[in-house]
Amino acid sequence: MTATPDATQPTDLRALTEQLREHLTRARQGGSEAARAKHTGRGKLLARDRVDHLLDPGSPFLELSPLAAHGMYGSPGETPVPSAGVVAGIGAVSNRLCVVVANDATVKGGTYYPMTVKKHLRAQQIAADNRLPCIYLVDSGGAFLPMQDDVFPDREHFGRIFFNQANLSARGIPQIASVMGSCTAGGAYVPAMSDETVIVRNQGTIFLGGPPLVKAATGEVVTAEELGGGDVHARTSGVVDHLAEDDTHALQIVRDIVATTPASFAVDAPAPWEVREVEEPHEDPASLYDVVPADTRTPYDVREVIRRIVDGSRLQEFKQLYGETLVCGFAHIWGHPVGIVANNGILFSESALKGAHFIELCNQRGIPLVFLQNISGFMVGREYENRGIARDGAKLVTAVACSVVPKFTVVIGGSFGAGNYGMCGRAYDPRFLWMWPNARISVMGGEQAASVLATVAGRAEDADVEEFKAPIREQYETQGSPYYATARLWDDGVIDPVDTRRVLGMGLAAAAHAPVPEPTYGIFRM
Amino acid sequence: MTGPISALLIANRGEIARRVIRTCRRLGITAVAIYTDADAAALHVREADRALRVPSYLDVEAVVAAAVEAGADAVHPGYGFLSERAPFARALEAAGVTLVGPSADVMDQMGRKDAARAIAVAAGVPVIPAYDLDDDPTSFTYPVLVKAAAGGGGKGMRVVRSAEQFAEALASAQGEARRSFGDDVMLVETYVESGRHIEVQVVGDAHGTVLHFHERDCSAQRRHQKVLEEAPAPTLDDATRARICAAAVDLASHVGYTGAGTVEFLYDQASGDFYFLEMNTRLQVEHPVTELITGVDLVQLQLRVAAGEPIGLAQSDVVVTGHAVEARVYAEDAFAGFLPQAGRASWVRWPEQTWSPDPDPGRLIDLADGEDPAPQFGVRVDHALESGQIVTPAFDPMLGKVIAWASGREEALMLLTEALERTAVMGLTTNVAYLAALVDHDDFRQARHDTAWLDRLDLPRPDDGDALAFAEVTLRTQLRRAPRGPWEADGFRAGGPAADLVEHGRTLPSRAGTHGGFSVDGDVVHGGFRGWGAVRRSADGTEIVHRGHRVDLGPHRDRSASLAAGDGTVAAPMPGTVLDIRVAVGEEVVEGQALGAMEAMKMELTLRAPFDGVVTAVPAVAGGQVPLGAVLLEIEPHEGAGSGAS
Repeated sequence: MTATPDATQPTDLRALTEQLREHLTRARQGGSEAARAKHTGRGKLLARDRVDHLLDPGSPFLELSPLAAHGMYGSPGETPVPSAGVVAGIGAVSNRLCVVVANDATVKGGTYYPMTVKKHLRAQQIAADNRLPCIYLVDSGGAFLPMQDDVFPDREHFGRIFFNQANLSARGIPQIASVMGSCTAGGAYVPAMSDETVIVRNQGTIFLGGPPLVKAATGEVVTAEELGGGDVHARTSGVVDHLAEDDTHALQIVRDIVATTPASFAVDAPAPWEVREVEEPHEDPASLYDVVPADTRTPYDVREVIRRIVDGSRLQEFKQLYGETLVCGFAHIWGHPVGIVANNGILFSESALKGAHFIELCNQRGIPLVFLQNISGFMVGREYENRGIARDGAKLVTAVACSVVPKFTVVIGGSFGAGNYGMCGRAYDPRFLWMWPNARISVMGGEQAASVLATVAGRAEDADVEEFKAPIREQYETQGSPYYATARLWDDGVIDPVDTRRVLGMGLAAAAHAPVPEPTYGIFRM
Repeated sequence: MTGPISALLIANRGEIARRVIRTCRRLGITAVAIYTDADAAALHVREADRALRVPSYLDVEAVVAAAVEAGADAVHPGYGFLSERAPFARALEAAGVTLVGPSADVMDQMGRKDAARAIAVAAGVPVIPAYDLDDDPTSFTYPVLVKAAAGGGGKGMRVVRSAEQFAEALASAQGEARRSFGDDVMLVETYVESGRHIEVQVVGDAHGTVLHFHERDCSAQRRHQKVLEEAPAPTLDDATRARICAAAVDLASHVGYTGAGTVEFLYDQASGDFYFLEMNTRLQVEHPVTELITGVDLVQLQLRVAAGEPIGLAQSDVVVTGHAVEARVYAEDAFAGFLPQAGRASWVRWPEQTWSPDPDPGRLIDLADGEDPAPQFGVRVDHALESGQIVTPAFDPMLGKVIAWASGREEALMLLTEALERTAVMGLTTNVAYLAALVDHDDFRQARHDTAWLDRLDLPRPDDGDALAFAEVTLRTQLRRAPRGPWEADGFRAGGPAADLVEHGRTLPSRAGTHGGFSVDGDVVHGGFRGWGAVRRSADGTEIVHRGHRVDLGPHRDRSASLAAGDGTVAAPMPGTVLDIRVAVGEEVVEGQALGAMEAMKMELTLRAPFDGVVTAVPAVAGGQVPLGAVLLEIEPHEGAGSGAS
């Protein structure tokens, strides 16, 4: 099975990457020019500038899902809530690797849309998985009220943020907040639930009910500053621990706070595995654009991709001669040992068995796994079903699901059907999942789905079957786009293929902060 | 008492003490330093053969006692401190110790302006023409200056440009003088619109010889504080130069001057006339420019003369070679009202001294024999500041002098600019960037400046941009030296350009250009990018000095202190009894001022003003019992003095 290419979309990887950069540039601007001018006019730094000021000089920032909410919550083709109104990512603060979550008040007042909540929770999940301190730069009006049913009540909605704060703190993962603007209603619990909190005087406010609500409820007339300003909370209520003059001062205080956290959070804290000296790939990663054919149906050797990602372009292959449609092997990325599992064609029983075996090896040896996903699915047909390909596929899925070593997934092409499961899709909890701009993701290809549905509906033989199939194809085309995926947080971001090595290295170094437990598995169907 | 000097006590500190020690070293004289407690570990103490503690450099009795205790044959007073104090000269004489300087009588005479002027007149040296108030104003040559005899600070002073304005100006100045000084005695003298400060170095011996060592131009001065000095004077023609030097020798000869001295003149640029101002009976701060162009060691000559020997030179031996310019490095913020600066000089780098400070001791003899060695042009640095040293406001704020000597004035200015750009002091602000800007200023380059130049000149504070760009390049270079890793500090951002470096809240601009390598000196990285500079990163912040301009990117810790001040409510820190209240409503208070006291839990607590302001309410009453948090006093900050963000 293969995806249907859309004639209007560029297929060349270089052109697709250029398109990605344009999307990213727009998203990183945040809110409208007017909103940004108003924000900075008040002496406030923009969300991404706050992050830059918070991080150590020169620190990289592994931004998560910058294209969250892309194309959502507005007219078609519009993105009224860029980055879902929140900047999230990982960076070095006082030489500690931290997760930073910064509301962007220039986007709908920093209110929480459903994707904002999802992104905030995803950042906390990353902090939990990798044991990284959390820093919340709060500047938000709270839940986006018109969508409260998709933001407030469910298990993974707004309340989960505070549930996570309590449980992260319980696990010794520092929770630090700096209130740099509004922090209203439920949002007030972000600073209140933090281990240590800063507020900016005459700028940050924390209250459960704002002045209008207070007036409505009790008739009391009070200003925001009197109700929950910096002086109130630093001197009287004790809700915050530090008072800052302005943004840069607050961020300096946060840096000082982070500096007091244990060395186990240090950027280069000892890893659970042996880290070697870094060696550049012998093949220039920039040549990746030329390795991957423009036509997704043109086969190519995935080893060419691996050679452009791993140290010294060296891959020590496992079962090279068996189950050849899945390439497995040991390598290093930025000095970190990895076991690479990469599709090189459709999955057969042999490739699935090989993959399961290899994943067990990596778990036994405590070596992180990297999945390079480009899979149209498992082989179908009577012969394969009768020989039990589902049984072998289940072994691979079990091995992936029960893995205890950190897993990383990069969708470098298609991600269809059960192939997505066996190759560690989002549901299999990879520490990070990134997509290339040429990626496609759906339960099956649009053409196949249209045919299946036409058959089920008994329309397959009709003369106007095309009219039936076209909207289905179109739906799959739209929903299979990496931008549709990244908008909904199905991944942690769409990346330039050339950055693959770097972000994998950053992810590995982040993952190295959490210990690796002993592996155990469920029943492998034999 | 005169005779050979085998041990010399140097009654001074800092760069001049080191300077004198240098000559002692060369001549094999034992150098004895004195020091106060603050200077116990100072450079001059470490460099001397011996050092004795004194309670103060101004304590005549203690300094004389130290000289006696050290068995010093003579005392070199340097400049400042006791160098022109006749009582000190007399005390030394009584103790049988030679003062390297003139007699106490000459010091006395020259120390009094009226007496000095009378001597000048007697010696035939021109003085500023003065008029009698009783004379007919129409007979004066205008412009004239009307000034209060008791005056100072510009009060009671008027420039009058014509006879018609005279009466009115006199009355107004007189009134001002009466109000300001309670004395309306007025003087009238010729006003020099544009004058240059020309001074002549002289040395006299006990055998009746007085030589001059040519002139210096010290017109670049701010409120009579010299900033840049040079020799020879760039605007004098040979005839004037000869006349002015001869006048200085005449004056010194007239009083039988012995030792080194400086005769100061005001040179009228318009008329070409010069007038005697005063005579300094000591070595001057700016003596190095004279030493460089004449090749003599003035301290050596001072010692020789003090020992009763003849100078050993003829006037014709004193030959000028090249041009020298000196810049005085002060601990002051030249771009913020010249406020004196103090603190710990965490890292200090002076430019490399390329001039040799130790010429052959026989050089003077060689000169006398007419053998003229090839000049060794270069940079001379006289300083007494090293890394880690504390600069206190107790002493003169001059940290050192950078002097450039080259074949011509233009070359010397180039050399000086480069040397200043390579001067860096971290931990406190100096005037180095100001000096560099002055040397580079067109007025100075063209020698168009006069003594009022610096008082008129309003130089803008240099832009931080270049310094920040230098820091950007330097810090990136330094960050790249760290072991490689995916989190290496290269500002990586996926799918976008690398982030700017942000250092303590300042975004460092990235500028194109090549840099000339960097060196590491402890926690300081220095090197060249659009000029030489240095960056120091420490727990206290990041400090940059680039081409003498200092940018301190400190952390914000100090800002927390101002926030602690709060809203001006002074509340009871404990439940207790108010003992007393020392202020009333409407009273001005300053930060930290004790406003009252209270007693609680057997402790007496002082209530202090959180900031400067006015007392607006005093609810507390002495003797009253107050609960915790009771408002005792309220202070309102002065407008604009608030500490909060706005």
